[in-house]
Amino acid sequence: MSVTHDDVRKIARLAEFEVGEEALPLLAEHMSRILEYVAQINAVPASEGVKPFVPGPDAVRFRPDEVKPPPLAFGPAEFAPAFRDGFFLVPKLGQFEQEQG
Amino acid sequence: MPVAVKDNICTLEYVTSCGSRILEGYRSPYEATAVNKLKAAGALIAGKTNCDEFGMGSSTEHSAFGRTLHPFDKTRVPGGSSGGSAALVAAGAVPAALGSETGGSVRQPASLCGVVGIKPTYGRVSRYGLVAFGSSLDQIGVLGRSVHDAARVLSVISGRDPKDATCEDRDSLRLPNVPESLQGFVIGIPKEYFPPDLDPAVRRACDRAIRLLRELGAAVRDVALPHTQYAVPTYYIIAPAEASSNLARYDGVRYGPRFDGSEDVRALYRTTRGEGFGAEVRRRVLVGTYVLSSGYYDAYYRKAQQMRALIAQDFRNVFDRGVDLLFTPTTPTPAFKAGEKIDDPVAMYLSDIFTVTANLAGLPAISVPIGRVKGLPIGGQLVGQAFLDDEMLEAAYALERAVPAGEEA
Amino acid sequence: MANRWETVIGLETHVQLRTVSKMFCGCSAAFGAPPNTNVCPVCLGLPGALPVPNELALKLAVRAALGLGCTVHPRSLFARKNYFYPDLPKGYQISQFEQPLATAGSLSYLSPDQGIATATIVRLHVEEDAGKSLHDRFPKQTAIDLNRCGVPLIEIVTGPDFRSPHEARAYLLTLKQVLEYAAISECDMEKGSLRVDANVSVRRAGETALGTKTEVKNINSFAFVEKALTVERDRQIAVLEAGGTVAQQTMLYDSKTNSVRPQRSKEESHDYRYFPDPDLPPLMLSEEFVAEQQTQLPELPAKKRERFVEKYGLSVTDAAVLTAERAVADYYETVVHAGSGADAKLAANWVMTEVLADAKDHGERLRVQPGALAGLISLVRGGTLSHQAAKRVFSEMAEHGGEPRNVAEALGLTQVADTGVVAGWVSEVLGAHPTEVERYRKGETKLLQFFVGQVMKVSRGKADPKLAQRVLEERARSLGDLK
Repeated sequence: MSVTHDDVRKIARLAEFEVGEEALPLLAEHMSRILEYVAQINAVPASEGVKPFVPGPDAVRFRPDEVKPPPLAFGPAEFAPAFRDGFFLVPKLGQFEQEQG
Repeated sequence: MPVAVKDNICTLEYVTSCGSRILEGYRSPYEATAVNKLKAAGALIAGKTNCDEFGMGSSTEHSAFGRTLHPFDKTRVPGGSSGGSAALVAAGAVPAALGSETGGSVRQPASLCGVVGIKPTYGRVSRYGLVAFGSSLDQIGVLGRSVHDAARVLSVISGRDPKDATCEDRDSLRLPNVPESLQGFVIGIPKEYFPPDLDPAVRRACDRAIRLLRELGAAVRDVALPHTQYAVPTYYIIAPAEASSNLARYDGVRYGPRFDGSEDVRALYRTTRGEGFGAEVRRRVLVGTYVLSSGYYDAYYRKAQQMRALIAQDFRNVFDRGVDLLFTPTTPTPAFKAGEKIDDPVAMYLSDIFTVTANLAGLPAISVPIGRVKGLPIGGQLVGQAFLDDEMLEAAYALERAVPAGEEA
Repeated sequence: MANRWETVIGLETHVQLRTVSKMFCGCSAAFGAPPNTNVCPVCLGLPGALPVPNELALKLAVRAALGLGCTVHPRSLFARKNYFYPDLPKGYQISQFEQPLATAGSLSYLSPDQGIATATIVRLHVEEDAGKSLHDRFPKQTAIDLNRCGVPLIEIVTGPDFRSPHEARAYLLTLKQVLEYAAISECDMEKGSLRVDANVSVRRAGETALGTKTEVKNINSFAFVEKALTVERDRQIAVLEAGGTVAQQTMLYDSKTNSVRPQRSKEESHDYRYFPDPDLPPLMLSEEFVAEQQTQLPELPAKKRERFVEKYGLSVTDAAVLTAERAVADYYETVVHAGSGADAKLAANWVMTEVLADAKDHGERLRVQPGALAGLISLVRGGTLSHQAAKRVFSEMAEHGGEPRNVAEALGLTQVADTGVVAGWVSEVLGAHPTEVERYRKGETKLLQFFVGQVMKVSRGKADPKLAQRVLEERARSLGDLK
């Protein structure tokens, strides 16, 4: 399993990371090693019948439908990096498509 | 009682930065259920402790705010990711501290620092307010000077919480009595945890502990957990996959610092996340994104979910045959040198080899000091059955009392 | 040119469930609060916060699934749909993917092209909504409001079953009707509580393989559904007729210019990396839970329509009008069953004309009590009121209430059934219209109705029209002419 520089670029775009060209070789090498290492689980014969295991309750519990938000000790204005007139602010969507509404 | 809290557990009083630049200076507007319960029980939150960034690491070298030193040897690591909590307890600054586990992050530093570390059954303690790394593996755990100190804190923080859907609807943990003997206990020794190349001193310490368990009246039996060798690879698919999604929220939009007054929101993401996360977090998020991406999901993530089931089944098979608890070394070696594994991610991952299985199977496990190896502490691990945390603690009390933890094995 | 092409449309409809709180936290789901005031650690995606599902939302989702004849699965999974967008705080949306809540349903609707038709419901799943991005609030900045973030939705996906834009619209209106009937959603497109995306493709008539489809988004009003789909269909046909190929992409509809344009996006942004949400154990629905939701479902419009045709002898069209809204259907049945019982067909006519017209002008309120309308109808049947006069009584009751007989008397509208008085009016009318009398005499008998109308006018609506006609006819017979 060898991860190419293009693979790293593509995955970094999906994960929204800036990855400099100079960092690519080492990242590709580390990712290749890790993926090669973890791929050894494929040595175990196909286990079609095996249901995935997740610990925790067998069934999700529900909350009643009532307005009872877990409290905030202070509001977004105090932790947001950019906030104005009650809104979070981000630079205008550029490469993102601007949808109406 | 003062209790220190790992930096990835939300408190109102202090900054909650998860050892990351991306949350540098972040103050949480709410506190974790575990912290809330501690305060309600009269504990004092003594401060926040350093950790590997978002819990990703086994040495507390991967913190944006500097590495934590081993309390007995500054050239070595305290283990991780709850290295700050372990070192603080080992140094005698607090009797107990909250840590968190995804693959051994409480037990591994406990072993390396010579303190007690408990990871409860998955669902025993609410995760509300524990900053998520691998949600299906994460549990808040406790580091303590003694089994009793750690167990007392665990008992306070355990129990139901309507804010966490994965937390079991159970009362808080009952504190067991210190048993006179371990008569009636059947303790399994899984052979996969004692490979031929295991450090002989670690093996000697374990052998001594096993002898003591037997002398306490426990029946000791050899058992097999045949899928153990796949645990670390399975873990290093599932944990990064979940992490890649859990860490998507750090985007510089709603909280945390922004690293660039970018003209474009995508650029804002990329610089904030590119500069805000450290190397190990970036690596794991990339691996996690990769294994979930189209075309790779089945070979990696789905397969790992099945391996996880086989690993959990291994444990059930052993427990179904009358075994109550398992005993293993907690770590393959005592504390290693700082920098020793920092450039070799896979070597670092292998220091979790004996601990990740309990997280994968959701089982309770505890590390108790069992001696010294060339002057450095080493821990032995007891793994219990799901929701029989109290039974595991009982055996740990007995072992702790019997073992000469300060003595070279 | 369109005849050589067949249009194939499938719809994905997002419907906001009628809950007071959000899907995974206790924040208010109300529309219109000041920005970022209905927010908490969970829906802000703060570090460490966790989701817990809303029970009512799941009940409503199951009711919707049952109402659409779906199989509700006893075990389904929440999954994370991962993508980055500034109004998506966690970087993923909690939805369902591999194991949805319900599958394999159908909805029968009245197609303008082919009569009663059936749309396949491929799947129905639960998810949370994202927040809102406002692009024109501040210069160079996008403003984010997370009040809507986490509001409970169901997504209802149909097969590629519709063959024209108006057929798709007819389905959508029927779906809306069902969801409103069962109080599952308010279905208000303007408030965003119902949103629709469409998969559109065209193929040459007679072909069976599907053409390349595009997804049309941003259709934010019922008025635009047909327009948007037509624009996209015509665009695809034009491309193909010019020898080009349709690219598989997302198209955004712009209602201001009535046009579509491709959404700019990179290919990999569609790799959503779905996986089961580890924060949420499996959604297990017991048989009892599902059965309980079945009992909470009212009679749905299609059933009600059939029953109205059968029980009240109405035409399918009239029954469809009366059952379009649950409140109207209930009102109609109350009128029919009030007191000694009104004539079902007369009642239907009254409700479809006077009642609905009055409701339309008065905020959809049904202002005349059903019992009063039933009384009014029997006054008309008994000959006490003319139809014209009854309409005036109806308006008066709508404005000021009251019993029909009292109102009619107060307005002096009760019909005069005294032959002598009516004969006087008839003489007056005949004397005033010599030209028409002459024409009638020459055989233009249809003028009889004109004379009846004139009698009604002269009597200010008070004459019993049947009596007036009889008197007119007798006068004609006995005199051979009207002189």
